[in-house]
Amino acid sequence: MARPAATATRVDSAMRAALAPARRLLAIVAAPAALSLGLPAAAAELPIFDAHIHYSHDAWDNLPPKDAVAILRKAGLKRAVVSSSGDDGTQRLVSEAPDLVVPSLRPYRRRSEVTTWARDDTVAAFLEERLARSRYAAIGEFHVYGADADLPVPRRLVALAKQHRLVLHAHSDADAIERLFRQDPEARILWAHSGFDRPDTVREMLKKHPRLWCDLAFRSEQGAAGKVPAEWRALFTEFPDRFMVGTDTFTPERWHYIVEHAHWSRAWLADLPPALAERIAWRNGEALFAGWTPGPGK
Amino acid sequence: MNRRYSGLAALVAGLVVGATGAEPVAGPSFTAPEVRAILAHGPWPPPWQSDPSNRVSGQPASIAFGERLFNDPRLSRPGTIACASCHLPPRSFTDGLPRAHGLAATDRNTLGLANVRRQRWFGWDGANDNLWAQSLRPLLDPREMGGDLAHVAAVVRADADLRERYRESFGAPPSAADEPVAVDVAKALAAYQETLATGRTPFDEFRDALARGDDRGAARYPAPARRGLALFVGKGRCNVCHLGPDFTNGEFHDIGIPFFAGPGRVDAGRHEGVRRVRASRYNLLGPFNDDSTRQTATATRHVAAEHRNFGEFRVPSLRDVARTAPYMHNGSLATLRDVVRHYSELDEERLHADGEQILRPLRLTDAEIDDLVAFLESLSASQANSSTSRSR
Repeated sequence: MARPAATATRVDSAMRAALAPARRLLAIVAAPAALSLGLPAAAAELPIFDAHIHYSHDAWDNLPPKDAVAILRKAGLKRAVVSSSGDDGTQRLVSEAPDLVVPSLRPYRRRSEVTTWARDDTVAAFLEERLARSRYAAIGEFHVYGADADLPVPRRLVALAKQHRLVLHAHSDADAIERLFRQDPEARILWAHSGFDRPDTVREMLKKHPRLWCDLAFRSEQGAAGKVPAEWRALFTEFPDRFMVGTDTFTPERWHYIVEHAHWSRAWLADLPPALAERIAWRNGEALFAGWTPGPGK
Repeated sequence: MNRRYSGLAALVAGLVVGATGAEPVAGPSFTAPEVRAILAHGPWPPPWQSDPSNRVSGQPASIAFGERLFNDPRLSRPGTIACASCHLPPRSFTDGLPRAHGLAATDRNTLGLANVRRQRWFGWDGANDNLWAQSLRPLLDPREMGGDLAHVAAVVRADADLRERYRESFGAPPSAADEPVAVDVAKALAAYQETLATGRTPFDEFRDALARGDDRGAARYPAPARRGLALFVGKGRCNVCHLGPDFTNGEFHDIGIPFFAGPGRVDAGRHEGVRRVRASRYNLLGPFNDDSTRQTATATRHVAAEHRNFGEFRVPSLRDVARTAPYMHNGSLATLRDVVRHYSELDEERLHADGEQILRPLRLTDAEIDDLVAFLESLSASQANSSTSRSR
């Protein structure tokens, strides 16, 4: 679907500005990485940047970091944004595979804090302590809806993301996304699950917010049976730089779905023009997180 | 106001006339929507409908043939295990084990067979879309009966009684082609299983009394079960998934039960079931469906796996549930009380924020747990009226 030229210019220029530092780093990091990341034998497969992985407390015992990383590599992941409840899970994976793991700081010590963190005054101190100790590319995935995004704890989270130049990975409705942008218009927000919103709502949000990206985790409708429906194809075509895939390993068992999810993603991405498929598969993730470079912690 | 609505009004107001008619018995108040929800769990038994995909569905000779086959261990490869070895009539055709054990251990609890004809998808994962394909599956599974199409067909050809029963059912003796004979065996097995139905229960008596405005009849339903029913259709909202006369929506959900089947091995549940039903040669889209219109195949034509299906399992019927312990796809909960406690203390860490949105810990008191268990127990027929009864 063609889009109005004015809109295209506005979106593209805004995004170029947002990604300027990233593009410089991309030239340094991403190109050599493609040669040296030790991609599996199936490297001929489309690489995947998985934007939505959790390695939470209940997975650590039955899936040690070496085994977890082996699954990520078997799936042909180029990189994976990992956040965990608690954060020790992410740190274990970063230590095991710094080339592969893009660490994100989740404001949960246990996953059950999904519903309580926004009103928990201890969360801010937890985030500050972690940010002082380790390096991150993002804060999230956190769950916040509607007016709760303006509570003091989420506000502090947004401020910390701004201070540390971190992407916000928000599992939110459109209202909360609007509120997060009002708190920091320069924020970069990765909208988890594209808000589980309909394509027309996602389109409006992407038009309105050039610094908004979307992951497609735990959504099936954009690629059922390996075919991209017309409304999603139009959306991907209109915003080729804003989408990325993700598995969402919200229970330990779902780690054993990562490989199949990668295959499933490749199947529906093959229904798109190759250049667009590459962007959604990995280039958009690489671009958004290009500011992250593997290296020793603080 | 006619008698029916007079009776309903009395219940809604929270007063039920005692069994003697002399003393009102205090009971839970049911709102009008709750009364409608209760009535939706009946009437029972439902009317008979034959299966158009099975040309011998409802045929007496085939039912008898199927019963004979159901109890014949020769259908297993070593001749030691019959269908009835795991599907025991006194246990509503389950085996009482956490996980079934045929020729080898399996990963799943044995599902009961009573009322099985009313399902749309079969098994914990819905990997079959018809009862005859579901009946063929354990015959061929190496962990269950370990046979193959040739073995099943050979057993029927080699036995004079089975051969004659086959001819009587299908109009010709078993042919030399293994696959059609084995599928016909499965269709006879299905014809028999279609007759297995649970009888009327204390709940059904209450529900029908409620429907006809029979206050005295309704008052015979024990107070704990009545309070449990109020929780079931009220605070618990159990009837959102356990709905209708069968107390199931016939679909698949993730209720927070872990689904590791062993170290590093998961039971993918419905996700794998969708893949298998679509790939099956014995599905309703395939050559063995006796419904030439293929109207029976509409759901199969459109079913597609979604990410959420990974780790989803069947919502089982609750009829005769007191006889089918242990519970859940892997038999991990030993008693009905454990099941109710599971929902009471639901581990939200196991649930996706946008997955099963209806599921929240119910935080039931011990007394409420007792009541809900009493209600569930009232969904079982008396032993004399149990699922050994034929539905036709």
